Amino acid sequence: MNKLLYATALATLLAAPALSAERINVLVEGGGEMLQKAVAAKFTADTGIEVNFTVVPYQGVFDKLSAEIASGSSSFDVATIDVVWNAKFADHVEDLSDLFTDEVRGDLPPTLLADAKVNGKMIGMPAWANAEIVFYRKDLFEDPKEKADFQAKYGSPLAPPKTWQEWRDMAKFFTRSTKGDGAIDFWGTDTIGTFAEEWMAHVLQAGSPGVILDKDGNVIVDNEAHRKALEFYIAPHCVDHSVPENVNEIGWGEAQNLFYQGKTAMMKFWAHAYKMTPKDSVVNGKVGVAPMLAGEAGVAAIPGPWYNVVPSTSKNKEAAKKFIAYAEAHNALGIEAPLGLAATNSAYKSYFGKPGYEHFGPLLETLSAPATQGRPLNEHFQEIVDEAVLPAVQKALTCKVDVADVLAEAKSNIQDILHP
Amino acid sequence: MTDVNQRDIGKAMINAAALVLVLSYALPYVYLLMTSLKPAADVQQIPPHFFPESISFENFREVLVNSTLPHAFANSLIVAVLTTILSLILALPAAYVATQYRRKLTVVFLLFALVTRMVPAVSLGVPLFQLLKSLGLLDTVPGLVLAHTSTAVPLALLLLAAFFEGIPRDLEEAARMDGCTRFQAFRKIILPVMKSGIAITALFSFIASWNEFLYALLLTSENSKTAPIVIAEYNSVFGLAWGPMTAAAVVYSLPVIAITLALQKQIIGGLTFGAVKG
Repeated sequence: MNKLLYATALATLLAAPALSAERINVLVEGGGEMLQKAVAAKFTADTGIEVNFTVVPYQGVFDKLSAEIASGSSSFDVATIDVVWNAKFADHVEDLSDLFTDEVRGDLPPTLLADAKVNGKMIGMPAWANAEIVFYRKDLFEDPKEKADFQAKYGSPLAPPKTWQEWRDMAKFFTRSTKGDGAIDFWGTDTIGTFAEEWMAHVLQAGSPGVILDKDGNVIVDNEAHRKALEFYIAPHCVDHSVPENVNEIGWGEAQNLFYQGKTAMMKFWAHAYKMTPKDSVVNGKVGVAPMLAGEAGVAAIPGPWYNVVPSTSKNKEAAKKFIAYAEAHNALGIEAPLGLAATNSAYKSYFGKPGYEHFGPLLETLSAPATQGRPLNEHFQEIVDEAVLPAVQKALTCKVDVADVLAEAKSNIQDILHP
Repeated sequence: MTDVNQRDIGKAMINAAALVLVLSYALPYVYLLMTSLKPAADVQQIPPHFFPESISFENFREVLVNSTLPHAFANSLIVAVLTTILSLILALPAAYVATQYRRKLTVVFLLFALVTRMVPAVSLGVPLFQLLKSLGLLDTVPGLVLAHTSTAVPLALLLLAAFFEGIPRDLEEAARMDGCTRFQAFRKIILPVMKSGIAITALFSFIASWNEFLYALLLTSENSKTAPIVIAEYNSVFGLAWGPMTAAAVVYSLPVIAITLALQKQIIGGLTFGAVKG
């Protein structure tokens, strides 16, 4: 009888973890659910562990996870978070170092590994990553007349731009009045005045050791590379007049739409947009892609990765880690989703040469470029951007100020934020 | 110029000013409606076009067939209706007693209701989350109704108190003299007089719950997710889906418009309630 009791108790104990891990809850933003649905289905089929997604708006991921952590208990076993929140949540998520085997490390662009590490702890596993690359109108760049005209005017061939100077020249070249009435209705490119990430990419291209802050947290927003990058960033608007004038009204969405509507010849934009070109867009089938521009330090961009983290409050940590490891190993499964992004080199490479995925080469080259690096993992970073960096960029875009003065003012504002 | 002519011109000017005012209020909504009817390629034209070049219902099909909006819409409706009913049940007697039997304590009570309106909702998010979690009411309709009621009751209380102030105390005393109990006097005499005030309070409580975002975000996940959350999901980090988002917003605005139209007589009555008190 006793034996039977012990056996029953042992069986119950052994079964308990399996039962409690039958289902994991994943907090995710709308786009992220699509990217992880296929891998979740395969994970469930292989392990029997169900994956339930709770989809919230972008800011909702931060708000909801913050509230759950503050309450001391969480309904979520995994949260897929934007890299900009890594520093904020670092103290409230599990250390996933044991998932980063040599094989895993070798399959991830170095910048994604660097962003995963906060205070010596690997806080999350990259789920997918994005970066800005160059989009251009293939039909225009391959047009013999355009090629001849450009060669005659600038003395160099018309080819996808690689350098800052080529970018400026080509943007000037394509800016024109298509109706012949003198009114400019087609521009070489756009300048985004409502976000600062694109300028930050140029800062890295110019050879800065970091963006805004260096690795030790010192404010370097006024260094030579930041100044050069800002001068380059505002030049198409202030000097060349090769972008629509309303720069402070142009955000990501507007830039994307100008290109899709055939009103700009080139744009620097997040790679996912290649696959999302609307079928009824006038540029559908005419879009070419190239790696992000190169400055003195070579190609560089600010990556936009998302990380799978395990909140410390999760009750199914082992199952959650199992899912995260599985999602990394089967990372390519997300590529068929509308956004079509992944994080690992092997996932991207598995689609090389497939029609419709021409952007993966330039994206991986940009993500893997030595000068590419993430935003500083500082919990005040978003505040710094909103309160000091973006106002500085917008001030520079008035074309009436000295960029060095603007950056000096930004430095002072950032120091006030960091050391109130 | 005769007095009659002058009056006509004055009237016409007032009407014109009113028309401008109404149009300026309605313009964003009309633009929302127009955007929802545009095909995907036309939604974000630069420069923007006010009217669609061709009418398309693809955005409505997307939100009504391919999204979770219908389920979220039903949740919103149930939560808003229950919140409104519960708020009225709690606030009506409280507001009546606080205004008709005025004591120091009732004044403090009303002031306290006012103070609760000043507390930022975000600061109550975590305590509410913990409370509902301990009650097992997270991601449930009753849980969200309770959360919404906690903010709707003070609003209803203050609105109803203002309306009850306009009712002469003698009315209840007359009813009592005719043999009514205090409750009968409240139910049979006072409440019918308060019809307009109750309609306005109900409408405001309904709208407060209908549009509430933060608690719905923090306290729901899937089962009781409301429509404002689903609408916000169209604004993803990878872009803003203007077409479906505006279509969802149009669909979501219809019940409030319908209720406002249905109750318009009571609302106008409520707005002028007590205006001729002599």
